[in-house]
Amino acid sequence: MSATILVLEYAVIYTVGSLLASMLSLSKKAGVKQSAAFYASLAVLAVSLAFTLLNIAIYLIEPKPSFTNLFHEDLLSYFFAITVQLVSLFVVLSSRNYMWGDRNLSVYFSLLLFSTLGMVLLAFAADLLMIIVAWELMSIPTYVLAGLRKDNPFSNEASIKYFLLGAFSSGILLYAISLTYGLTGTTNLPAVLQALQASATRLDPLTILALALFIAGFGFKMSVVPFHMWIPDAYEGAPTTISTFLSAGTKKAGFVVAIRVFVVALPFLSTNWTTAFAILALATMTLGNVAALTQRSLTRMLAYSSIAQAGYILIGFAVATEPAKTLALIGVLFHVFNHAVMQSSAFLAVAAVDRTIGRASLDSFASLWRRMPITSFALAVSLLALAGIPPLNGFWSKLVLFTAAIQGDMAWLALAGVLNSALSLGYYAWVIKRMYIDEPTGSMGQSRIKEPAVISAVLLAATAIIIILGIYPSLIYDLAKAAVLALG
Amino acid sequence: MLDVPILSLLIFIPIVGSVLVYLLGRLRERLCELASLVITIVVFALSLYMYGLLFASKEGASFSFVEGPFNWLGGFGVDYYLGVDGLSASLILISSILSVLVVLGSWDLITEKKPIYYFLILLFEGSIIGVFCSLNLILFYVFWEIVLIPMFFFIGVWGGPRRKYAAMKFLIFTYVGSVVMLLGFILIYLFTTPNTFNIPELVGKIPFWVQLLASAATFAGFGVKLPVVPLHTWLPDAHVEAPAPISVFLAGLLLKMGGYGFIRVNLGILADVSRQYAWVFISFGILTMFYGALVAMVQRDLKRMIALTSINHMGFVLLGSFAGISASTTQGAVYGISGAIFQMFNHAAAIGILFMLSGYIHEQAGTRNIDELKGLRIGMPKTALVLILGSLAGMSVPIYSSFLSEWMVILGAISVNSWYAITVLIPLLTVAYFLWMIKRTVLSQLPERIHYHDLRNRAMIGLLLYLVPLFLLLILPSLILGVVDPLSLLLYQGAGGGK
Repeated sequence: MSATILVLEYAVIYTVGSLLASMLSLSKKAGVKQSAAFYASLAVLAVSLAFTLLNIAIYLIEPKPSFTNLFHEDLLSYFFAITVQLVSLFVVLSSRNYMWGDRNLSVYFSLLLFSTLGMVLLAFAADLLMIIVAWELMSIPTYVLAGLRKDNPFSNEASIKYFLLGAFSSGILLYAISLTYGLTGTTNLPAVLQALQASATRLDPLTILALALFIAGFGFKMSVVPFHMWIPDAYEGAPTTISTFLSAGTKKAGFVVAIRVFVVALPFLSTNWTTAFAILALATMTLGNVAALTQRSLTRMLAYSSIAQAGYILIGFAVATEPAKTLALIGVLFHVFNHAVMQSSAFLAVAAVDRTIGRASLDSFASLWRRMPITSFALAVSLLALAGIPPLNGFWSKLVLFTAAIQGDMAWLALAGVLNSALSLGYYAWVIKRMYIDEPTGSMGQSRIKEPAVISAVLLAATAIIIILGIYPSLIYDLAKAAVLALG
Repeated sequence: MLDVPILSLLIFIPIVGSVLVYLLGRLRERLCELASLVITIVVFALSLYMYGLLFASKEGASFSFVEGPFNWLGGFGVDYYLGVDGLSASLILISSILSVLVVLGSWDLITEKKPIYYFLILLFEGSIIGVFCSLNLILFYVFWEIVLIPMFFFIGVWGGPRRKYAAMKFLIFTYVGSVVMLLGFILIYLFTTPNTFNIPELVGKIPFWVQLLASAATFAGFGVKLPVVPLHTWLPDAHVEAPAPISVFLAGLLLKMGGYGFIRVNLGILADVSRQYAWVFISFGILTMFYGALVAMVQRDLKRMIALTSINHMGFVLLGSFAGISASTTQGAVYGISGAIFQMFNHAAAIGILFMLSGYIHEQAGTRNIDELKGLRIGMPKTALVLILGSLAGMSVPIYSSFLSEWMVILGAISVNSWYAITVLIPLLTVAYFLWMIKRTVLSQLPERIHYHDLRNRAMIGLLLYLVPLFLLLILPSLILGVVDPLSLLLYQGAGGGK
């Protein structure tokens, strides 16, 4: 199938669903409005996921990457399309419990779908202009979503901070793209590669500037230090489902375009960007972990943990050149997928606590297992997976990343990575201790609370994925490997 | 040898059984106690059968019952690959014995949250057997890390007053050691041709400089577990806070992971460095022995004293294995390495009875403080008898096999360098502080107002069972040495010794 038609199909599915959801807000009955919007978005995601899986199956039987000027269809695109849509599915489902009864729910679902479409388009984009369009389609709805609870000052603050820095990053990205266009006369990624290879001035200051601006622009979304400042506030202020969407979903979109631009389009500049990424990786994981250690709110802790995890993924970028290129990129894809699942699970568990107990400070987690056994179990498993304890999925992708780092002659980065993993266990285990070992504090009851049903189901599904991929990692590893080998 | 995957059964009967036990325990608590006993006895029978076959075949040096390598993570060298030689088989045997005894002891000493407790006990047993028979470094690491999780909860949930601190300290210490060790494994994988994590294929293939770096990295992992002074500080805290049955697991099995790692990885595949730099490891071993013995001497808490004795005894393992690998004569090498393995086996049983007994004493007398426990010979005569019998095992007097193993290690060490004869002071110190402890607790006057409850008969039998292997092996040491000696010889020759 031609890539353009394929992308068009996604666009149609999502746009129709999204418009349908927002039109339902015209209905008079509040109950009808939100249920209808919920089921409409669920249907869209289900159809689109099925469509993606079908396409992967077709593609695997007869692998022929197709390119047009704007899009290319390869396994990498599908890999990311699956990842982000899975996260969207988790988020939409959990909203059934978490957001239920909020105002403007049909708008909420409609915007979620638009943003998801933006991420899917990003996965397929092969042209810098297409990238910026998809990037904005992904980002702008999330600015609104972060501030959806307009009576809540934290939500407003989150939204404004996120919007200002997000708009800033889009501007930087646009500037990087215009520089690239000025240097090469094209915005098509393969053509950029050819033009830069042909030109004698590939290392002139403007190229380096464009490179730096690309890193900064993507870095905002990827939560790379020093572009991470908005993350903790935004994640804490936004509705927790939206924080999940941001950290497990849109952040991953940053990584797919980074692979497209750096690894595929600018490989001969690698001496410049690999060092930059190595330093950023070190700074990101260390700062993320150290800051997470000191947090009193679990949402903020997970926000910093999410920054630290981005640092591990950046290790893969730092060594994404020969001889470790294949392994490094496999590690990046593998960890992106794993992190999407682990982070969704952790954040949604917090959402469940937030919804039922009301506060997500660490104190409300004391002895949680008595009150919410399913939520506690899912949170404990996802935290252990984030820490990289085998046999859970996070261990395998970290193993691949660290091996790639040593293979790529950056053993110091691998050492920093494992020490950071050890550091991170300090706060992950602390939460587990809080839930399972500490006595309940203050007025907290000990009796069992009715756990939100849909979130619990989502959590169990995510936990199952974490454990199954831990025992049988080849499921995703092989797919990631095929995707990387197809990149060439 | 057999078509039945006996090693997989040994690993997965407890792991699958753990879920069953948990579900049964939700129905009725008594059921989960009985079910865990049945499962551990089945595993014990199976491991005895496995050990018997290995012993009869006299193939202690090579890997038997091999399963795999089956591809686990495609093209990344991670295989499901199991096998046992003399070292693994004897440690699996003692693991299954201790598991039965620990379940029995827990019946008396664990009163709350039973279903999840027995779930964790079986998970621990399965994964520690997995550690001892993995032939792939990553598989080994996976089991190695799974062991941490039950232990963290054991200490944290069922522990004493400072359980939270002890549990976190244990987790952080061992995890830091483990991840650094993992780096060493990755180094080995990347710089060996062909790239592999499989232990049998790595023997003699690793370049010297990689061996050097990997030895440094694995020292962090194995050294924390053994524990080697100065990486030991988590151990006294963990032991003091852990409930008595868990201390048995901790000292009897978890520490063995360190000793096993040193022999399997350092002596087995990093052999050149181990032989050349043996003096470094030996120095750490002697330091550990002296530190453990001297600090144990001044302890007031009975359990802390036993914990430090454990450090002292595990120093013998480090000393024996590295003295053996660097020995100049074959005889010395076999004494050293076999002595170290034998010592691990004996230490597990001897320290097991002491820890379990300290739990009973704490339960009955309300204190473990040596100065407050007085007149046990009158107040609790049965306890006093078991305490004396157990202490004799801890002192390694020649009525138990623990005497033999320490003697073998010291002989092996002297054959390397006569200065190492200084280690004969260690048993002397150990005897001194144990006798002093007995003098203060057993042989003192019973204060009038104190009334103790004595051990129940069932508990006493459960305790005396620990001593059975120690008696038996004094008379028939070849039951263990028969499978271990050929391995020691092979390791020694593999390191270029005896030529």
